[in-house]
Amino acid sequence: MAALTKIDAAALFDEPACDHNRAKDPKARKTGCSRPKPGGTAGGCAFDGAMITLVPIADVAHVVHGPIACAGNSWDGRGSLSSGPTLYRRGFSTDLGEQDVVFGGEQRLYDTIVEAARRHHPPAVFVYSTCVTAMIGDDFDAVCAAAATATGIPVVPVNSPGFAGSKNFGNRLAGQALLEHVIGTVEPAFTTPYDVNLVGEYNIAGELWDVTPVLAKLGIRVLASISGDARYADVAAAHRAKATMVVCSRALLSLARGLQDRYGIPWFEGSFYGIRAMRDTLRGFARLLDDKELSWRAEELIAAEEAALATALVPYRERLVGARAVLYTGGVKSWSLVSALQDLGVEVVASGATKSTEDDVDKITELLGPDGIVIRNGTPAELLRVAADTQADILIAGGRNQYTALKGKLPFLDVNQERHHAFAGYPGMIEFARRLDLALSSPVWEQVRAAAPWDDPDPAGPTGQRIAGPGGVAATAAAAADVDVDVDADADADIDDDEVF
Amino acid sequence: MAGVTSGGRGAAFDPLKHSQPLGGALAFLGLARCIPLLHGAQGCSAFAKALLTRHFREPIPLQSTAINDVSAVLGSSDSLLSALDTINERQRPDVVGVLTTGLTEVSEEDMLGVLGSSRYAAGSRGPMVIPVSTPDFHGGLSDGWSAALQGIVAAVPATGVTVPGRAAVLVGPALTAVDLDEIADLVRAFGLDPVVVPDLSGSLDGHLDENWSPLTTGGTTVDALLGLASCEVVITIGSAAAAAGGALAAKAGAPLISHDHASGLAATDRLVTDLTRYTGVAAPDAARRWRRRLADGLMDSHFVLGGAKVAIALEPDQLVAVGSLLYDVGAEIVTAVSPTDADVLRCAPWEEVVIGDFVDLSERAEAAGAELVVASSHGADAAAVIGAAHLTMGFPVYDRMGAQLRATSGYRGSLQLLVDAANRLLEHRESHRATGPSRARRASAEQLEELAC
Repeated sequence: MAALTKIDAAALFDEPACDHNRAKDPKARKTGCSRPKPGGTAGGCAFDGAMITLVPIADVAHVVHGPIACAGNSWDGRGSLSSGPTLYRRGFSTDLGEQDVVFGGEQRLYDTIVEAARRHHPPAVFVYSTCVTAMIGDDFDAVCAAAATATGIPVVPVNSPGFAGSKNFGNRLAGQALLEHVIGTVEPAFTTPYDVNLVGEYNIAGELWDVTPVLAKLGIRVLASISGDARYADVAAAHRAKATMVVCSRALLSLARGLQDRYGIPWFEGSFYGIRAMRDTLRGFARLLDDKELSWRAEELIAAEEAALATALVPYRERLVGARAVLYTGGVKSWSLVSALQDLGVEVVASGATKSTEDDVDKITELLGPDGIVIRNGTPAELLRVAADTQADILIAGGRNQYTALKGKLPFLDVNQERHHAFAGYPGMIEFARRLDLALSSPVWEQVRAAAPWDDPDPAGPTGQRIAGPGGVAATAAAAADVDVDVDADADADIDDDEVF
Repeated sequence: MAGVTSGGRGAAFDPLKHSQPLGGALAFLGLARCIPLLHGAQGCSAFAKALLTRHFREPIPLQSTAINDVSAVLGSSDSLLSALDTINERQRPDVVGVLTTGLTEVSEEDMLGVLGSSRYAAGSRGPMVIPVSTPDFHGGLSDGWSAALQGIVAAVPATGVTVPGRAAVLVGPALTAVDLDEIADLVRAFGLDPVVVPDLSGSLDGHLDENWSPLTTGGTTVDALLGLASCEVVITIGSAAAAAGGALAAKAGAPLISHDHASGLAATDRLVTDLTRYTGVAAPDAARRWRRRLADGLMDSHFVLGGAKVAIALEPDQLVAVGSLLYDVGAEIVTAVSPTDADVLRCAPWEEVVIGDFVDLSERAEAAGAELVVASSHGADAAAVIGAAHLTMGFPVYDRMGAQLRATSGYRGSLQLLVDAANRLLEHRESHRATGPSRARRASAEQLEELAC
């Protein structure tokens, strides 16, 4: 298969830093990440994953070599924000036709790269291969090399046919492309002893902008963000950083490890979600940058930020305390968000672990306590069932499950890729509390859960009394409340046992 | 009669086109208790699902056969059958629409043969499995819709009987949920019993049911499909439904009433005339009342829309429908861009239709000084760059609510669209008005106040 896709999958799957893989026996380790099940897939392909990781590099033209589906269905569909260039939001597709499938798409790819460079003068062009172009055997790397010569700018080949694997695997392919073609090719204008890289932070809803100011207070400069609000030259200079933080991404551990192996940059894993996570992150940087004075300043900053945050959160905590949440998200967030929620007084009754490692699961179990449920099967029906069983007040999950929750008449908060609100850092914590409160206290839930009153067979029900006299309004409200209770009691029955997916 | 030209670029920059499998899946989503299955890599369905979810703000049943690097080369039929098994066990659908992709078309597997000799062959017990060939590298959304609808009609059995009053209404992808209601009500008003295929007004209109479901929660039922060929007349609205309509009329031995669209006074008049002549029933009161209102609305809005330079980028049927309506009120269609070619484009009453992308739209609209851009949410940037108003229509619409409530068809829907377009232009002119004397006075007064502080 290596000849077909030009991907050495076995080498990429051999990731010593990955807990998933470490836990397996030697034989299972070689088979790599689990294969998607036909008819039971959820989530994107390797091409999707590669795009997620690289498209946030904002000043670059991202050219997709394939038929229209791959770019046509995905361009400008990501929540990653830029403070400057907008070229990354444009869609460039070679739009392969039948002729190209028969005779090859190399010339078309070359022309597309040259035309994109001519129109927009980007510092580089990233080119993504897809299933069809891998199948028809285009010499992808050679075309990129020729186009680089013609345009005079780097043309980065990203071998990412969707069938190569899951979205996570695509993240990793993207990291590999950066290590091989981008990082180390540009020297930064200047360096400081406090230059760091962020890996796996995509500036969704502008979250990065709530984090960099806190780091700046400690004198820490984000040299390369990979890749939220990134510029090509900064990513290319990532080899000069003094430390790397991997943000909520198991899939990009290989990139952090590559930076360590090639350039000796130490790395740690962390998260920007929640008070405890921020504390660990700031300490993590201080530790890796190995500076006593920085450590003291970090402790001072943590104390000051936490004190200010505690005051700001008082009104929200009063309203949120005792609320019951089901959390369903992947990897590190499955436990880092638990602590963020607990910090707000919210009781997390269940948390998902389908994409988490055993290490993550241990942390979840420790945080949730003996009654907490670890969700291993995250189908919509199962999520609704768990929510009903635990009498949860809200589902906190990715956008994919937003309409699962709404069709189950359950409040919902989006904490994944497509979210519209920034929840990172200290300001993000306040926004998180505010959005939780808005979701839980919305007046819509009582209305949509109540059945229409005109189906009530009881002649003494709301309609009759309203007609009868001035007492009608109060009686109507009481009757509506009754209906609400009935619906809640029936919540279990709402979920059909047959509908497992 | 419009001439159809090509934008001239091989590649697509800011693509307007969507793939055939997406269009096919959309058609199947108009069938009840259905799930479309894309025969390709898991990303094929994930991208389509994400986009459809953003547009409809609804859960979208959609699965894939999860082709990987091994099955892509060594054969994908096991994956197809195994996907059908999984779906059949878990979701128990009435209908599964199987759509090929670029990946499975390149490997030239005989999908029909594989299915035909499997437990999912036509006439077997279990779900109705309808296979459709929809390679990504050919055609676009409307072609995929058309192919799926032809596949649905091919799967419908001949019944040998005619049920008096039953009218099969086959529609293209341009009609929204409220359009479908409008057309069905109109047909019903002539004493006919319409069966709309596919019926997105029942599945993706945005409704709250008792329960969450992993399948479509409305649309054309399988029972309705089994009795479809018993119709006494076939009505098609949209050129993407024309081929399927012809096939069904032949199968049922029924007459065919075929219209490219029902946008505008004249177009709706033609549809109502056909229905009157076919049924012998006089035009219903509601149609008469809304026709009077549309006639009045045409006069009122021609002050706003008359002479307005309009640039449109939509799927072929909707391009011609919306363009015709605006043309009929006196707007000047300065640019019309379609993602793919279709015969219906040649019926557009203005001069030229370009097959192209959003860059084609943007460059031509700017050169012509367009002041209204009618396009999907992807057209927002183009409209902003050239300083034009943007009426958000088509697919995908993710930065506005209520895409399925945007009316375009029939007397009432046409009037609604005229009002929407005119209001959009009025708001835009209001906020972009050149600084007149009164405004200048106000501005200078504010400046003086600031200086005084």
